[in-house]
Amino acid sequence: MNQNIIHPTRRQFLETIGGGFGGVALSQLFLRDSSALVTPHHPAKVKKIIQLFMTGGASPMDIFDPKPELDRLHGQMLGPKEKPEGFTGPVGAIMKSPFPFAQHGQSGKWVSSVFPEQAKHVDEMAFLMAMTTKTNVHGPGAYMMNSGFLLPGFPCMGAWVSYALGNLTDNLPTFVVLPDSKGLPYNQRGCFTSGFLPALHQGTVINAASPRPVPDLFASDKFAFAKRDGDPAGLALLRRLNQSHAEQHRGDSRLEARIASYELAAKMQLSAPEAFDVMREPESLRKSYGLENKVTEDFGRRCLLATRLVERGVRFVQVWSGPQGATGNWDNHANILTELPPMAASVDQPIAALLSDLKSRGLDKETLVIWTTEFGRTPFAQNGVGRDHNGGSFVTWLWGAGIKAGVAHGRSDDWGYHAVENKTSCHDFHATILHLLGIDHEKLTVRQNGIDRRLTDVHGEVVREVLA
Amino acid sequence: MCFYCLKHVTRHSLGVLLTLLGVWVPHMVNAAPDFALEIRPILERSCFSCHGPEKQKNGYRLDVRDVAIKGGDSGNPAIIPHNAGSSRLIRFVSGVDEEMVMPPKGSKSPRLSEGEVRLLKEWIDAGPAWPDALAGKLNAARPHWSLQPLIRPTLPRLAMHPIDGFILEQLAKNNLTPAPVADRRTLIRRIYHDLIGLTPTPEEVTAFIGDRDPKAYDKVVERLLNSPRYGERWARHWLDTIHFADSHGYEHDIGRDHAWRFRDYVINAFNNDIPWPRFIREQLAVDVFYPEETTLTPALGFLGAGTFDLSTYSTGPVTFDYLDRDDMVTQTMSAFVSTTANCARCHDHKFDPIPQEDYYALQAVFAGILKGDLYYMEDPASARDYRRWKSLIASVEKSDATVLHSAANKPLVDGWLAKQGKPIKWQPLEAGTFLTSEGSILKRSTNNVFLAEGKRPDKDTYTVTARVALTNLTALRLDVLANDTLPMRGPGRNDNGNFHLSEIELRIFETGGSHGKEVKFRRASADFNQTDWGIERALDGDSKTAWGIFPAVGQSHQAVFELQEPIALKANSSLAITLKQLHGGGHLIGAFALSATSEDPANVVIRPKEVEEALLTPTADRNETQRITIAGHALRIAANHALDRLPEKSVVYAAATTVNLVDSNPPGPVKTITEPKIVNLLHRGDFDKPRAVVGPGALSLIPDLPSRFALPNSKDEGNRRAALADWLANPQNMLTWRSIVNRVWHYHFGRGLCDTPSDFGKMGGVPSHPELLDWLAVWFRDDAKGSLKELHRLIVSSGTYQQSTGHRKEAAAIDGENRYLWRQNRHRLDADSYRDFTMATSGELDLKMGGPPVKHFKQGPGPQLTPALDYTVYDWSQPGSGRRSIYRCVWRGIADPFMETLDFPDLGLLSPTRGFSASSLQALTLYNNDFVLHHSSRLADRTKREFENLEDQINRATQLTWLRNPTAKERRDLVKISRSHGLATACRVLLNSNEFLFVE
Repeated sequence: MNQNIIHPTRRQFLETIGGGFGGVALSQLFLRDSSALVTPHHPAKVKKIIQLFMTGGASPMDIFDPKPELDRLHGQMLGPKEKPEGFTGPVGAIMKSPFPFAQHGQSGKWVSSVFPEQAKHVDEMAFLMAMTTKTNVHGPGAYMMNSGFLLPGFPCMGAWVSYALGNLTDNLPTFVVLPDSKGLPYNQRGCFTSGFLPALHQGTVINAASPRPVPDLFASDKFAFAKRDGDPAGLALLRRLNQSHAEQHRGDSRLEARIASYELAAKMQLSAPEAFDVMREPESLRKSYGLENKVTEDFGRRCLLATRLVERGVRFVQVWSGPQGATGNWDNHANILTELPPMAASVDQPIAALLSDLKSRGLDKETLVIWTTEFGRTPFAQNGVGRDHNGGSFVTWLWGAGIKAGVAHGRSDDWGYHAVENKTSCHDFHATILHLLGIDHEKLTVRQNGIDRRLTDVHGEVVREVLA
Repeated sequence: MCFYCLKHVTRHSLGVLLTLLGVWVPHMVNAAPDFALEIRPILERSCFSCHGPEKQKNGYRLDVRDVAIKGGDSGNPAIIPHNAGSSRLIRFVSGVDEEMVMPPKGSKSPRLSEGEVRLLKEWIDAGPAWPDALAGKLNAARPHWSLQPLIRPTLPRLAMHPIDGFILEQLAKNNLTPAPVADRRTLIRRIYHDLIGLTPTPEEVTAFIGDRDPKAYDKVVERLLNSPRYGERWARHWLDTIHFADSHGYEHDIGRDHAWRFRDYVINAFNNDIPWPRFIREQLAVDVFYPEETTLTPALGFLGAGTFDLSTYSTGPVTFDYLDRDDMVTQTMSAFVSTTANCARCHDHKFDPIPQEDYYALQAVFAGILKGDLYYMEDPASARDYRRWKSLIASVEKSDATVLHSAANKPLVDGWLAKQGKPIKWQPLEAGTFLTSEGSILKRSTNNVFLAEGKRPDKDTYTVTARVALTNLTALRLDVLANDTLPMRGPGRNDNGNFHLSEIELRIFETGGSHGKEVKFRRASADFNQTDWGIERALDGDSKTAWGIFPAVGQSHQAVFELQEPIALKANSSLAITLKQLHGGGHLIGAFALSATSEDPANVVIRPKEVEEALLTPTADRNETQRITIAGHALRIAANHALDRLPEKSVVYAAATTVNLVDSNPPGPVKTITEPKIVNLLHRGDFDKPRAVVGPGALSLIPDLPSRFALPNSKDEGNRRAALADWLANPQNMLTWRSIVNRVWHYHFGRGLCDTPSDFGKMGGVPSHPELLDWLAVWFRDDAKGSLKELHRLIVSSGTYQQSTGHRKEAAAIDGENRYLWRQNRHRLDADSYRDFTMATSGELDLKMGGPPVKHFKQGPGPQLTPALDYTVYDWSQPGSGRRSIYRCVWRGIADPFMETLDFPDLGLLSPTRGFSASSLQALTLYNNDFVLHHSSRLADRTKREFENLEDQINRATQLTWLRNPTAKERRDLVKISRSHGLATACRVLLNSNEFLFVE
C-alpha cells in the first residue's frame, strides 16, 4: 500500500483529535485489524510479542557471553583509571565469572550454569551478542531499550505497535504490562507509556497477583448500588441517551466512538476474568511454569498469563523481572556469585516453560519472544565481587516466528567490555522487531512538535542476519 | 527559421545602425549574440515556466546568472564558458540525448529551433556575455511565515468586530457562511468551560437566559474573568505547556514538596493579569528584574518545571549538565516562541534557520543554575531586613570601618556598650600537660592557644592539666578560635569548619593527691549555638549529644561553664579539663584556649577575648582596632538577634545558583554553582566531542535582535537569564507575540490558527488566517499591552466564537475540518475539567485555593527513592478530595490512571495540546472508577436532599449535569432505572453521558 497516502491521513487524524475536531472516521478512533494504521509494508512474520525484561542490567559475561580472557587476567587492575560517566563507583580489578559455562544444543551455544533450562532451547533462539546502548544509567537505559530515546515522554515499543497495527481482539487490551509483584521498574510507568500517542495505546498495567487484576473492570464492592447485575441496564440506558444525543449532534465521529467504547467495555467485562484466571490451566502445566515453587511462582504466573493473553489476541505483553532498586533485580553491584543465581533461578524455568507451551499451542508461528535488559555489566569488579553498569556490550535473544534459530550475531571484545563486531544498537533491535511485524521502521512516524518521530529516532538498521 | 533570420538581421542591422551613428559597440564587433536582445527572449519563452522566477525544477533557474551557469541540484555545471559542446544546457535543448530533452515532451513551452540552439552555442562559445544588470539575484528568500516582521494588517471590514471581519472574509472566499449564534444555555456552558473550567449551576443558567440586558453576556464574561477560578483554569494550560509536575521523573522519581508554590504563582499571575512581557521576565529572572518583590520568587519555579535525572546527576555529571540544560532550553523556547531549538543539538536545524551554535548559546544561558529547593524570604519587608543584616555581618567580617562607624549603626553600638557591666577578668590557664586519646597532635603556641594538627581521627578526647593562680574558682571559659590552617577557617576540624563538644569535665587535683575531685557545672552559655546542638548538651552527660557552632564557622566562639558552687583552691592545686568529642566524622576542635575566673558568675557575660581586652581599655585610650572590634561585636550581636526574629524562609522548587538538592526526602545538601559552567558546542551532540566554547545568547533568526548577549559581567549568571528574557519579551520578537495569541486562540477554539502551538517552524502547521494571527499579535502587544484578559474579551465577544456547533453537510463538504470556522468546535472535557465538572455537579467541589498539593493516592516506601503510589485505595470522602484538579499532586512517572485514561498528558515531555482518545479502558474507568461512583452517589444524595419526589430528583440531576430538563422519554427511562437500581445508577449514567462530557 502507498504509505504516502496513509500517513498524512493518520497525521491529520492526530492533529484533528488534538484539536478536538469531529470529522474523523470512526474506524480511526478504534484501531482494529480491519482499520489498522499501517497496511504492512511487507508481509509480517510476527503478529504478537512477549517482551521479557530483566530489570537492572543482566550480566552478559556471567550468562551468555563467556570470556576466558577474564579468567587469565583475573585480579589485575587493567580498567580505565578515571571513573567513566554513569559508573556508580571506582573501577576495580578484572573479575572472571564465578559460574562454569558449557556448550548446548546443535548450535553449541555457550550458556553458564545459571540458566540450565533455557540452555535446552538455545537452538530455537537467535542471539544478539553485541548489543550496545548510549548510557550507563538505569533510567535513561530503560527508556532507550523501550522507547529508543534516553529521555522521558516518548512512546515505548508496545505503544508504537498498538498504534501501528491496532488490536486483534475487542475483548482484551492491546498492550498489557505485567510488572514484578515487588514493584515497578526504573522510570515507573515511563517504560510502558504511550508518550505523545493517544492514551489508548499505553500499556495496561495488570497486577497479576491481585483479585482485581484489570483496574476498574467492575465497580468496587464499596458501592452497593453498583452491583454487576445492574451493568446491562445501566449501559443500555447510557447507549440510548448517547445515541439520541448523537442524532442531534451529527457529523462528529467522536460521539460514535464513545458509544462504541462502552460496547467494547462490556465485551471486556465478559472475557477478561476468564483470560486472567491462570487457575483454569491444568495443574501439570502450572507446575511446569513453576507456580508451585516460591522462587519461580511470581514470574511463572506472569509467563503463563502472557501465554493466555497472546492466545486470546493481546498484541504485546511485557513481563518484568525485578523492580527498581538495590536488591531483587539484575543490578548486581555487590556480589555476582550470591545475587545473580537467585534472579536467574526465578526466571529460568518459567521462561523455558513459556517457550515449550507457546510451541505446543502452535503460538510460536505468530509470536515473538524477546529477552531484554537495559545494559550489560563491567568485566571489572566493583565492591570486590560485584559488577557495575556497562552500556558497551550486552546480550538479548529472540525466539519464535520469523527468526533464524540457532544463530549468534555479533561479538564483544575479549573482556566483554565493548561490542566490536556486528554491533546491534537498541534502534537496530527495534527496527528488526518492527520489520518482523511487517513495518518499515522509517515509515512509522508521528509528527510531534516539529519532528517526525520514530521508534528508531534517526537510526536503526534491520539485523537481517537473525531473520529466517 | 524566419523568426531566427529576422532576429539575426535585426541584430546586424542594429549593429550597422549604431556603427553608422558613430557609436562604438564592442559586443557587436565580434558579432556574438546579445544576451538581452537575443538569448534571454529564448530562455524566457521556452525555459522560464519551469526554470525561472516562479519555479525552479531541480533547483535550476535561467533567470539568475550564477545558477544558470553553475547548474541546479545535480551539482553539474550547466554552462561551461567558451565550451558550448560540453555544456549540459546545450545537450538538453538540442535533444541529442533522448532521455533528456528540454523542454520535455508534453511541455507547453516550445522546443528551441536549430537556429536558436546555434545562437545559444555561439553565445556560450564567445563568453558567455551576461551583463551584470541582467544577472538577476536569488530572491532574498522571503522568511518563513512566523519570522516575517509583524505588521498590523488592515481590517477587512471596519464596521465589524475585527475577528469576524477576518473570518467572514475567508468564509466568503470559500463559499461558506457562518453558523447562527448559539443558544444561551450553550453559550454560558461554553464560556464557563473556557474561562474558568467549571460548569454553571442551573440557577446561573436560568438567570442568564432570563437576563434582558443587552450586556447580559458581557456581564457574565466580566464576572468569570474576575473570578479566582479563571487563574486556576488557565494555569493548568500553562503547566501543561511547560511540563510542570510535582516529582522528578526518571529512575529516582522523588516528590518535590515545594513545587506547588510555582503553581500558585501561575494562578495568581493569571488572576492578576500580569502583562505577558512581565510574565516572561518574572519566570526567567524575577530575582534580577524585581529583586525587591520577593513574594514573586516562586516564579523561578518555571526553570525547575521539567524533569531531573538524579541518577545521571550522581554518576554522569557531564551528561547530566547537557541534558538538563537541554530540558530548560527546549521548554523555554517551545513555550515562549514556539521554536524547536532543541532540534539543533546534534546539527544545524534541518528545517529552520537555527545553527547549532545558537542552541549551545541558549544552553549557556542556563549554565549557572541547578534545580532544587530554593529558600527565600517571602515578605518584602523581611527580605529587606534580611538583606540589610546579612550585609552588615559581611561588613563586620571585612572590618569595614565606614559601615561599622556609620551614623546609622552607632546607636546599635552605643546601646550595646551601655548594657555591658564591668568586664570580668579571666585568668588564662597555663597548661602543664596536654594529651589526646586518639592521636590528634596538640601544639601550644604563645598566648596559651592550642592548635590541633596531624591526622584527623574520627573522634578524640583532649585532656589539659594546668595550674591556676586563683584562690577561688567560679567559672571556666573555653575559647574556640578561628584559624587559617583549619578547614573553612575553623574553629573545628570537620570539612565544614564545625566541631562537636560532647562533654566537658573538670577535676581538681590538690598538691600530692593522685585522685582528682570531680567538679560539677551548674550551667553553661555560649555566644552561638547550632540548632539542636546547644551548649547545654556538653553538660548533659550524654555523649551522643554535643555543642556545635555550624553554620557560624570561620569565626571564634566562646563558652562559659559555671561551677555548681565556688570552690576554694589551695596553693598549687591543678585543674584537669577533659574535652570529649565523640560524635565522629572528625568533628574536633581545631584551635582553643582555656581560662578561669574567681569573679561572681552573675557578671559572667560571654565576650570574645579581644573584645574583653578592648573593653578593659578606657574608652578614650582605645585604638582603631579596638574600636572596630567592639563595634563589630556589637553589630554582629544586633544583626544575629534581628535575623533570629525574622520569619522562617519559604521554599520553592526552582533552579538557582544555590539550592538544596532534592536527592531524598527530606531534601539533601546545599549545592552552589559559583560561576556559570563552560558550555562547548558538541560535535554531533556527542558529550565526548566538545568543540568551541559558546557564550550565552539566543537565536540568530531575528535580524533586528542581537543573538549573542554583550554582558558587562559574563560570570553573573543572572544577567544571562535576564538577557534571554529581554530577547523573548522584546516587541520586535515576532515569534513571542504570535505564539501567545495563538495559544489563547487554541484554548478557545480547540485548535490554534496555527495548529501546532509550540512549533512555528517549517515542520509545524501553517496558519489558516495569517492576517488575523498577525493582527491579533500586534493588537495584543500594542493595544492590549500584553493583557490576556483583554485578549479573552476580544475573542469571546466575537460572533465567530459565539457560533453554534451545528453541523451542515454542505459546509462540511467544503471544509470538513472546519479550518475556516463556519461553526464553533465541540470540546470533550479534558481530564481536569471532567473531574471539576463532576464535583461541581455533586456539590462536593471545595474551592479552597493554593497550598501543598492533594495526593489522590496512598504513598508508601518504594524499593529505592521512588515511593510506591497506590491510587486505588484513595477515599473520595476524605477532606480535601474535592479540591480542584489544578491542586492535584502530579507524579511525573506514576500517572494517575484515571486522569491518564482521559488523556492527561505524560509530562515527561511538553504538552501544548491535549489529545482525544476513546477506548474500552476509558469506558470502564468512567463507568467503574471509585471517583465517578462516589460522586454518582453524592449527586443522588444531593438531589434527594433538595427534592422529595423521584421525578423532581431526576429533573434536578439532569439540570445539574446537562443544564436542562429531561425530555419526557428521558425522564421515564431515568426514573425506571432509579426504581430498579437506585438514583445513584441514574446519576452514574448521566456522568458517563456524552452530553455531559462534551461542551458545545
